[in-house]
Amino acid sequence: MKKTAALFLLGIIVSTLLFAGGKQEASGKKEAEVQSVNFWFHLDDPEARVDSLIQKFEQENPGIKIEAERVPWDAYHQRLLTAVTAGSPPDVSQVKLWWQPQLVELKALEPLDKWISTWQGRNDIYDRVWELTRYTDGKQYLMPLQMVILYMYYRTDMFKKLGLSIPETREEFLDVAKKLTRDTNGDGNVDVYGFGIRGARGGHDWWGAFVLSSGANFEKGGLTTPEAIAANQWFIDLYRVHKVSPPTTPNDGFKEIIANMQSGRTATTIHHIGSAKGMVDALGDKISAFPVPEGTEGRWTSFGDEENAIFSASKVKEAAWKWISFLATKENNLTWQKASGQISVNKSNAEADYGELSRFVKATTESADFAGVLPAHPATAEFVESVWPTTMQRAFLGEITSKEMMEIFEKHFYGE
Amino acid sequence: MIRALRRKTDLYPYSLLLPALTVTTFIIFIPLVYTFGLSFFNYVIWKPHEIKFVFLGNYKKALEDEVFWISFRNTLIWIAGVISLQLVLGFITALLLNRQFFWRSLARSLILIPWVTPSVITALMWRWLYDGNSGLINDILVRLGILDRYFPWLANGSTALPAIMFALMWQGFPFFTVMILAGLQAIPTELYEVAKVDGANPMQMFFHITLPMLMPILLTTILLRTIWVANSLDIIFIMTGGGPGYASHTLPLYSYIRAYKGLDFGYASTIAVYLTLLLVMIVTMYVIRILKTEERFR
Amino acid sequence: MKKHTGVIRAIITLHLPVLLIVLFATGPYIWSFISSITPEKDMYKGGVSYFPENPTTRNYSRLFSKINFAENLKDSLIVATFAMLFGLAMSVTASYSFSRFQFKGRKPLLIQFLVINMFPIVLLLVPLFIIMSRFHIRDTYIALVFAYATFSIPFSTWMMTSFFNAIPRELDEQAKIDGCNRFTAMVRVVIPIALPGIAATAIYIFITAWNEFVFASVLTGKSVRTIPIALQNMVGQYQIEWGLLTAGGVVSAIPVIILFFFIQKQLISGMTAGAVKG
Repeated sequence: MKKTAALFLLGIIVSTLLFAGGKQEASGKKEAEVQSVNFWFHLDDPEARVDSLIQKFEQENPGIKIEAERVPWDAYHQRLLTAVTAGSPPDVSQVKLWWQPQLVELKALEPLDKWISTWQGRNDIYDRVWELTRYTDGKQYLMPLQMVILYMYYRTDMFKKLGLSIPETREEFLDVAKKLTRDTNGDGNVDVYGFGIRGARGGHDWWGAFVLSSGANFEKGGLTTPEAIAANQWFIDLYRVHKVSPPTTPNDGFKEIIANMQSGRTATTIHHIGSAKGMVDALGDKISAFPVPEGTEGRWTSFGDEENAIFSASKVKEAAWKWISFLATKENNLTWQKASGQISVNKSNAEADYGELSRFVKATTESADFAGVLPAHPATAEFVESVWPTTMQRAFLGEITSKEMMEIFEKHFYGE
Repeated sequence: MIRALRRKTDLYPYSLLLPALTVTTFIIFIPLVYTFGLSFFNYVIWKPHEIKFVFLGNYKKALEDEVFWISFRNTLIWIAGVISLQLVLGFITALLLNRQFFWRSLARSLILIPWVTPSVITALMWRWLYDGNSGLINDILVRLGILDRYFPWLANGSTALPAIMFALMWQGFPFFTVMILAGLQAIPTELYEVAKVDGANPMQMFFHITLPMLMPILLTTILLRTIWVANSLDIIFIMTGGGPGYASHTLPLYSYIRAYKGLDFGYASTIAVYLTLLLVMIVTMYVIRILKTEERFR
Repeated sequence: MKKHTGVIRAIITLHLPVLLIVLFATGPYIWSFISSITPEKDMYKGGVSYFPENPTTRNYSRLFSKINFAENLKDSLIVATFAMLFGLAMSVTASYSFSRFQFKGRKPLLIQFLVINMFPIVLLLVPLFIIMSRFHIRDTYIALVFAYATFSIPFSTWMMTSFFNAIPRELDEQAKIDGCNRFTAMVRVVIPIALPGIAATAIYIFITAWNEFVFASVLTGKSVRTIPIALQNMVGQYQIEWGLLTAGGVVSAIPVIILFFFIQKQLISGMTAGAVKG
């Protein structure tokens, strides 16, 4: 064991030397003529490129070079956190709104207010977007980049065949979903389910549409009121009692949700414009969209978003600002959306032509007034990534009751 | 005989070890000590003002944590199940592929495929094979009349973990095959020739020559594989994310989720230390056995 | 007649079981291949389709023309090859030392290699990231080569120690009588006999490096992009490029299979050569 102890000691000494050495070297560096901005981003389409935007920007801003790096989505959050924790984040990164609280608490982000106040493009971004992305301390850390709003996809052919009309309330929706759930080939097994619920990670959007619209909210105590518990019970019952969602629901992720719609296994589901093209490719005009139905207290749907943030550790903040404001400007933002498949944050792009996807754009804009976001709380990231899915799955499996489920959520955000 | 080589100040064996020790110190040991240290702290990185030394606080907290115990139990099932599945299939395959036949090289290369397939593909592929709405496995089972309707393998609390274990068997059995094959080939053929002359049948040769000669390698392979399998989490994470509920949570997965989703590095490190302790216990028995086997060769 | 029953017996006890195992091993891969040549729009047409009606090579041409998969293959090949060589060099010497010498601290050191392997390595990312940054090797081949070689050392050292232990020590003694010193005895006599074991370990390191994702995703970025990173890029937030992904998976397995096909010829001849010497 002596050997191990000696080894340990050696390790400590060498590492100390090393760390000290590293610091000296870094301080001796001079700032170069050309400022290079490290930019992390991700796009769902592996073939999409943003090179043309970078070229255009570099031409307009000589002296700034954009070092764009594409990070796989599944590794994005972890990589960003590792880099931030280790003290070497990029200059600019694309971020999700619900990462903001943690990043702000870590003091990793640079407030943008000083630039935004004099920025001309400010008024061309939807007020609602500014409102939703502002942090609770009143500062603006995020620069809007792209947005999506979730709505219902439905099979027009199935609705027509069964003589169903678009449901306006959640009770009408349940009725429609029950009728759509049926055995089409007479073998005694259900072949089509009325509603595809995503029970795995990311499914909180489905849950929110029915629970946050019917009395539940994320204020302290807002998840455990009798109304909230009842709304949650209503949602659980879709799967457990009415069985309008496939038996695979607890583990269904977006791939399954979309595949089930495309193969005709489900007749409705919730998603956004990002999957519209794939749906149309598979189903043509047999697929269309409507806003999520009304709960007992109005409608709620999820506002999905993506922003750019500048990190406080950056040494090229001015250049970084130029880049992110460039991306949030009219035609550049529209070019970005061609790669991202999402919707521009600029008012002046509202009339842009989306061609065969315009019926989905319509459902999106109709939903804008009641689109909401999860609370700006550092615990939200874990809520989304693991607390919601595990707890929801347990409720779906009957391991816990609706009340227990909501109490777990309440405890996650507000402690005992 | 080896003792003749032993001299008091012989630096030669140490010099052979030096490169390996140096790099492991930097790349594993220092990070490990750092992380181990975190386990004694309340260290949720987004709560910088609450970071404090709590000594064994996290360790006590884990013992009262229901999810910890579920993950603990699942880890034991996971290790025992995956290792025995991989070992049995890997061993049988190795014995078959050790025989002479004309397409042996081809077969040996082809069975490597599961192992060389990147985990992300393995996980997504199996997830898709198991799919409860249009998966191949369900389709085959229904066609064969074993099932009368599609079954949601990964969405069911009692089949999720076994289903992933089966996928991991697929991924890992070639490893056993390769190692056991290498071990089989290191057995001097003279031993079999002598045994044949003495009139031994194949059964006797297997139990008296093959198995004992293979033992050191077999034990080491199982041991190392146990550690690897216990720590593997990417496939579980992609296939079910630990769900449904906690049905496929294992200790490393739970630790990973605590660290990178909750940013609770203190508690995550504690869970990792418990996992290490668990493995140390399992492995101690083993190492004693291996070192004994080793002695026999001295 | 006798020959005939022999053939049937060989088929039942050998060829058929091997065939079944090969089918099990390659089944999902073949299925992946089928997916990769199925046009995207036929993918979810309904139910399970075993053979595509309109096979297409589009995913493969996209893979090489638009995704630059050749670059990823090159990066993976470089990283895995050097990790293998570097890892082998360190673990072969270390295990020879463990196997052939008795010295102070032998057992603790041997066990130490095992224990550090038990900790979930994903938790070591943050400190490792810091160390790599300090050395200024983040996002280089060196970072990954070092990381993979090192993380394989505990494993390969233990593996190799068992292989060396299985080689009778009398051979070393004999070599010394024949005029070898300690180093040349290792290189000329023991290593050639241990070649099957070394080859197996080499394959282990190579494949591990070839498939590793977590470290690659954190320790490298713009300049080094291995295959798992490229494949992971096809899994988006709201979309999986299943056709491209399966095509990538099919392609990425091929170099390793070919490599193994040649290594194992070496492996068998190496063994025979060793046996002759022995």
